[in-house]
Amino acid sequence: MAIIGQKLVNQIRETGLKATVAQRTDDAFTRFTAGLTWDDVRGILRGDPPAKPNPRVKPHTEGFWFHIRPTFYHEAVTTLYPTFRLGYLSALFFLIETITGMFLMIFYTPSPERAFANMIDILTNVPFGSFMRDLHRLGAEVMVVVVTLHMWRTFITASYKKPRQFTWFTGVVLLIVTMFLSFSGYLLPWDQLAFWAVTIGTSMADAAPLVGREVNLLLRGAPDIGAGGLLRFYLFHVLLFPAIGLVFLGVHYYKVVRWGLSLPPEMEAIGEDTARKVDQTKRVMFMPDILTNEIMYAAVATAILAVASATFYNAPLETHSNPQVTPLHTVAPWYFYWLQGLIKIPHILPLGESLSFINKPVDEVFALVGLTPKMLWGIIVPPIIIVLLFAIPYIDPNPSRRYKDRKVALSLAVIFELLILYLSLGGIATGVPGTGFGYVGGNPVVEVAQEFIPDEGESEVKAIPFDQLIVGKYPLANDPAIDDHKAPKFREIVRAIYADMEHRKHVADPLGKKMPEEAEGDVTVRLLQEDLKEFVITIRYIDENQAPQTFSKNAYIHKNSDYH
Amino acid sequence: MNLFYKIITFKPSFGLRIVSGLVGIVLCLATCGIVGLTDMVAAQLKTNDDAFEGRLIEAGARVYFEQCARCHGLQGKGNDGAAPAISSVAFLGAKTPPTPSQRLKDIGWSGSIESYIEAVTASGIPIKSSQVWEQNHPPFAQRFGGPLRDDQIKNVTKFVANWKQKPYTDGVIEAPKPGAGSGPQPTPIPLGPKENAGLEVFKGAGGCTACHAIRGIATGAVGPTMNKIAATAEKRVTQADYKAAGGKATDVASYLRESIVSPNTYIVPDCPQGACASGVMTQNLQQTLKPEELENLIAYLMTLR
Ligand code: HEC
Ligand code: HEC
Ligand code: HEM
Repeated sequence: MAIIGQKLVNQIRETGLKATVAQRTDDAFTRFTAGLTWDDVRGILRGDPPAKPNPRVKPHTEGFWFHIRPTFYHEAVTTLYPTFRLGYLSALFFLIETITGMFLMIFYTPSPERAFANMIDILTNVPFGSFMRDLHRLGAEVMVVVVTLHMWRTFITASYKKPRQFTWFTGVVLLIVTMFLSFSGYLLPWDQLAFWAVTIGTSMADAAPLVGREVNLLLRGAPDIGAGGLLRFYLFHVLLFPAIGLVFLGVHYYKVVRWGLSLPPEMEAIGEDTARKVDQTKRVMFMPDILTNEIMYAAVATAILAVASATFYNAPLETHSNPQVTPLHTVAPWYFYWLQGLIKIPHILPLGESLSFINKPVDEVFALVGLTPKMLWGIIVPPIIIVLLFAIPYIDPNPSRRYKDRKVALSLAVIFELLILYLSLGGIATGVPGTGFGYVGGNPVVEVAQEFIPDEGESEVKAIPFDQLIVGKYPLANDPAIDDHKAPKFREIVRAIYADMEHRKHVADPLGKKMPEEAEGDVTVRLLQEDLKEFVITIRYIDENQAPQTFSKNAYIHKNSDYH
Repeated sequence: MNLFYKIITFKPSFGLRIVSGLVGIVLCLATCGIVGLTDMVAAQLKTNDDAFEGRLIEAGARVYFEQCARCHGLQGKGNDGAAPAISSVAFLGAKTPPTPSQRLKDIGWSGSIESYIEAVTASGIPIKSSQVWEQNHPPFAQRFGGPLRDDQIKNVTKFVANWKQKPYTDGVIEAPKPGAGSGPQPTPIPLGPKENAGLEVFKGAGGCTACHAIRGIATGAVGPTMNKIAATAEKRVTQADYKAAGGKATDVASYLRESIVSPNTYIVPDCPQGACASGVMTQNLQQTLKPEELENLIAYLMTLR
C-alpha cells in the first residue's frame, strides 16, 4: 500500500494531477488494447498513416483477439469479391446468437411444464424480451443462409484446394454445427410448431437399421419427445453444439490466418499459393483498413437485423405443444425442406405417372433391395452427402483453381444446388409438371378450411378485427350479406373463402383432387362470451359414394388476441 | 457486365466506412431505445399480455367445448342431473356491480374462484357433494388420471372465469347448498314391455348410445341429449324455424319418427360440442331397423320427459 501510494504521490508531485491521471489512463488503455495508445486508436479510426515503427502490428503479436487475425491482407482480397465478407458475417452472427441467447436463457426453464409459459413471460413481462427473441430467431435463420453462402463462395473460388483442405474440413463441421444449433433451438419454445417439426426430424433416425431405436431413444430420452427430450435438446443447444462450434471456429480462424486469404484464382499460377507472399506495395494493413471495414460490416448488419426484428419480423409462437394432436401439414424447418422432399419422391423419374413401365414407384424399387425410402433418403444419403462434403478437397484431382479449368466441378455444383431447390419445392403446388410431388393435401373441402383456419400458424380469419365479426349466418357467396362499410375485412374473407372453394372446383390439386361441383357452405359467427366469438366455416357436399357430407371447422377469437 | 464488375470490386472508401459504421451503430442504439420505450413507457408489454391472455382463453374455449360442455352445457348453465351451472352469478360472482361468489361462501373456500375452478377441474370431486348428480366430477389433470395437461387446465379455467364479464342468471341449474339434495332420488317410472324393447334398441341395434346421452343409460356426446326429448319434441313441432326447414311432424311421435328416419330434415341447433351438423346422425335407420323396432324405439323415447 505504502509503496504504490508513494509512487503515485511522487508522480503527482512531479507532473501534476491532470497529467498523472492522463498518463495512468492511457497506460491502462494500452494494456487493454495490447499495445495501442489512445492516440494510436484515434489515428486508426481517422485513417492516419501509421508512425514508424508501426505500433499497429503490436496487438497482432501481443493480444489474443488480434493474433487470430492477419496483420495484413493482399489488396486483391479487400474488395467485395472474393470473400463477400461471408465468413466474417458468419462469425458475427455466432456472436449475436450467443449474446441474445444468454439473455433468453435467464428467463427460460427447459421443462415441459414451464417452457411455454416462460416463452409467454418473455413476450409479455420481460422488457426487450420479444425484441431479443426476434433477434435470436431471425439471426439464427440468417446465419444458416450466410454460412451456406460462405461455403458456396469458398467452393466457387476453389479456396478449399491445397493448402486449405483442412480449413474446408473444419468449415463443414461448422456448417453441421450451425444446422444442429438451429434445429435444436427449434424445440425449445415447446409449441406445436416446435414439437412436431422436431418429432418429424428425429423420427428420421427411427428408420436406421439396428440402432435406429436406440439413437432415437438417446436423442429423445424416451420413445416420444417429453421432459427428457426437451432437457437434452436444451443442453445440446446451449452447451454441446456451441462448445463444438467454438473449438472448430478457433481452428478455422487459425487456419485462415496461417494460410492467408486465398487470392482470386486468376491471379496465381496453377498449383501455386502466394497468399502469404505479399509484395510490400500490395499489402493492406489490418489496422486501419480491414478493421474499419469490419466494424462497418458488423454495425450495418446488426442494424439491419435489429430494425427488422423491431419492426416486421415476429418470431412465431403457436399453441402449446400437444402430443395427441398432429397439426395438418406439419413441416420441418425450411433448411430441411430438401430432406423432406427426398423422402416424398414418388417415382424414380420426375415424370409424374407417365412412362409407368420403367418409371416405377420408388417404394417398389427400393423394396427389391430391402430398403424403405425413409431408410435410404433419411439414413443413408445424408451421411453420404456429408462425407462427400468433407472429402471434396481431398478427392478433387484438379490442381487448378481457375474457373475455366473447373467446368466439371462448377457444373456439378450448379446441378446439386438445383436439385436441392427442386426437392425443397417438392411440397409446394406450383403447377409446374413434376413439382409438387410431395404435396400432402387431403380432401379439398378440408383444405379450404385449413387455408383460412389452419391448425397452426397465421390465420386470416383470426386476423379479422373483433368488432367486424357480426353475429349471424352468412352463406358463402361472391356477394355475401355483409355491410362493406361496417365489416370490410370480414366481408373480404368470406368472399375469399368462397373464391377459394370455387377455384378448387375447377383446378385440381397435384394429386388430381377437385372440390365437388355442388359444394356450398356458410360462415357462422356466434358470441360465446362478452369478448369471445366463434367463427365456423361449414361446407356441405356430396362425397364419392354419393353420400351427403358436412364438414365444419371453427376458430375462437378473443377481442384482445391481436393476431394481425 | 460493367455494373457486375463494379459491384464485386466494391470497396467502401474510408469516409464511407466511418459514416455508415456510425449510422449502423446509431441505428442499433436507437432501435434499442425505441424498443425499450415502447415496451415500458408505451405499455407494449401490457398489450402483449392482453393478447396472450386472449389467446389462452381461446385455447381454453376449445378444451371447454371438447371436455366440459357435454355436462355443463354450451353456455355453462348446467344440465339437469348432469352438472351445475358454472357461468352463473351465484357461482362466479360478477364484475359489475362487484358481486362475490355465493357458492364459495356456501362451501367455505378461502381461495379465489379461479383457484376453485382449477382445483375442481384438475382433481375432480372424489365424493359426490349431492345425490342430484348422476356422476362424480371426473378428474381432468393427467397427474390425477385425466386427459388434460396442466396448461389446458389453466386455460379452461381462464375461459370459465371469463364468463364473469356477463354471468347468467336465467335458466341456470344451481348446485344445491352443501348438505341439501342428499336424500333418496325419486324412483324412475317403470317401463312397459314395448318401451323396454325400445330401450334395448336404443342401446343395441340402433347404436344410438354412441352419440346420445340419457341419464344413467348412455353418455354419447355427439348429438343432443335425449333426457327430455319428448318435451323437446312437443315444443319443437310448433316452432317457426322447424316448419321453415320443411318439418312435417305435428306431434311428438311423428317428430321422433321424422328425426330418426330423416335426420337431415331439421337440424337441431345445439349439440354438446357446438352447432349440430347435418349428415352426422346415422342416415339409413329406416332400412336397418325393423318396423316394430322403430315403433318400440319411438314408444321408449316418448317416455322421456
Ligand atoms: C361427466 C360430466 C362432467 C363433465 C364432463 C365436467 N363436469 Fe364439472 N361438474 C360435474 C358435476 C356432476 C359437478 C358437481 C359435482 C359435485 O358437486 O359433487 C361439477 C362441478 C363442477 C365445478 C364446481 C361447480 C360448483 O358449483 O361447485 C366446476 C368449476 C366444474 N365442474 C368445472 C368443469 C370443467 C372446467 C370441466 C371440463 C374440463 C368439467 N367441469 C367437466 C360434471 C361434469
Ligand atoms: C353418429 C351419431 C349419431 C347416432 C349414431 C344417432 N344420432 Fe341422433 N342425432 C345425431 C346428431 C348430430 C343430431 C342433431 C343433428 C340433427 O338434427 O340431425 C341428432 C338428432 C337426433 C334427434 C333429434 C333431437 C332433437 O333435439 O330434436 C333424435 C330424436 C335422434 N337423434 C334420435 C336418435 C336415435 C333414436 C338414434 C339411434 C337409432 C340416433 N339418434 C343415433 C347424431 C346421432
Ligand atoms: C460458423 C461457420 C463459419 C465461420 C464463422 C467461418 C469463418 C470464416 C472466416 C472469417 C473466413 C475468412 C474469409 C472470409 O471471410 O470469407 C473463412 C474462410 C474459409 N472458410 Fe469459413 N467459416 C464458417 C463456415 C465454413 C464452411 C461451412 C466452410 C465450407 C465447408 C468454410 C470454408 C472456408 C474456407 C475454405 C475458407 C478459406 C477461404 C479463403 O482462404 O479464401 N467455412 N471462414
